[in-house]
Amino acid sequence: MSKHAKIEKNIGLMGVLIALVVSMGGLVEIVPLMFQTSVIEAHPNLKPYTALEFAGRDIYIAEGCYNCHSQQIRPFVDETLRYGHYSQANEFVYDHPFQWGSKRTGPDLHRVGGKYTNEWHEYHLMDPRSVVPESNMPGYPWFAEKLVDAEQTAAGMKVHAKWFGVPYTQEQLDSAQADVDGKTQLEAVIAYLQVLGTAIPRSYK
Amino acid sequence: MEMTSGWSLFIIVIVVAHIIGYSYLLWSTSKMKSDGHKEGETTGHEWDGIEEYNNPLPRWWLFMFIFTIIFAIGYLILYPGMGNYKGTLGWTEENAWAKENEQVLAKRAELFSTFIDKPIPAMIQDEKAMAIGERLFANHCSTCHGSDAQGAVGFPNLTDNDWLYGGEPDTLVQTITNGRVGVMPAWGSALGDDGVKQVAAYVRHFSEEGQDEDLVAKGKGKFAMFCAACHGADAKGNHLMGAPNLTDATWLHSFDSGRVESILLEGISGKMPAHGNILDEGSIKVLAAYVYSLSHE
Repeated sequence: MSKHAKIEKNIGLMGVLIALVVSMGGLVEIVPLMFQTSVIEAHPNLKPYTALEFAGRDIYIAEGCYNCHSQQIRPFVDETLRYGHYSQANEFVYDHPFQWGSKRTGPDLHRVGGKYTNEWHEYHLMDPRSVVPESNMPGYPWFAEKLVDAEQTAAGMKVHAKWFGVPYTQEQLDSAQADVDGKTQLEAVIAYLQVLGTAIPRSYK
Repeated sequence: MEMTSGWSLFIIVIVVAHIIGYSYLLWSTSKMKSDGHKEGETTGHEWDGIEEYNNPLPRWWLFMFIFTIIFAIGYLILYPGMGNYKGTLGWTEENAWAKENEQVLAKRAELFSTFIDKPIPAMIQDEKAMAIGERLFANHCSTCHGSDAQGAVGFPNLTDNDWLYGGEPDTLVQTITNGRVGVMPAWGSALGDDGVKQVAAYVRHFSEEGQDEDLVAKGKGKFAMFCAACHGADAKGNHLMGAPNLTDATWLHSFDSGRVESILLEGISGKMPAHGNILDEGSIKVLAAYVYSLSHE
């Protein structure tokens, strides 16, 4: 029996060989990145999310904001002119999982932090068309009434500290629940949006 | 962006091994030698009546594979791909962006050169400048001030020549560059509930007749005491403080009596974000000119 026939007639052996071939691209392109400091070490200005920002991020994920908004500014001039400095890997090391997204029905949000005022975000989240008449974003009026789940926020931060190595201090973890207790989802989401991408100045000029 | 030499070697070994391995695979399968079958004969396999020829790859197909290998070798010499080897072109994503950005800035400087030195009142006659200003406005300003620049509740209308901080060309440049923070303090504890109603009636009587005269009269005295410092004794506002003119029909937040009272009770703040860290001086000047043009011929 030829070698070819041997592999063709032994599905276990063929499976192993297929897995080997398929893994090669990943071994070359992905695995070395996991050990490269420029990718895995946080940007010096990057701070772990505060309890309120963390809660806002959870809501961002729960509402599926990533379906329409990306958080990755590519290194092309047309993008940096519009959104600001291109995104860098070391700005996302505390994001588990990151919210890069892959679709822009709405604009990219990576450097939206500080671009608008809190008041603008309030109007805009309640009813986007009150400030941007041509917008097709849905409103989220319940954000103003619903409260943040404080217990879950504190538990989530502990998981990030313990399992993902996010450098929270014990003090931050201890006060997390009290920090967000009684806060509305609106406050949390705005806090999260306002800190996005602020590790690097927006400036592109 | 360097990786350790160990990982660099890891990548190089796998990439080189693949190129050699695939070359060998192509070379060995392009020759007829399998199991004694000749070209044109079948391998003897049969699945539901479907038989398999044992022909070598067509030439053109084989050449495509060979071309991909040659392409890969060329690419790996010119561009970074072999671990830490940077490639003879020295290409990186970052400097590719920087180069493109420089070209754009140079093109913009050239584009701006015909009008950028003109004073703003003259610049608004320049069609090209205004077209550029309109695009800049759409990108940086329209989300708050609206694409027609007529604002929204809480966000000033820029077309009515009614200004919180002044509409002079230099003031507009200042406002865009450094932003503005307007603070109306809460007066609930100083005025009390009755006082709030009286002042609200006084403030509203400028724009709408039929306010309760007693309230207006009492409100007038309280206004002089608490409000005149910022809004002026005549209630016509103060550009230096960003205090609105209360005597005209332009209302940033709302003319609704309940809203006026709640602003008196709780205060309100308005913020225009600074754009000096986002836009270059030339673009700010063009933007200021565009905004100026909205209320000037």
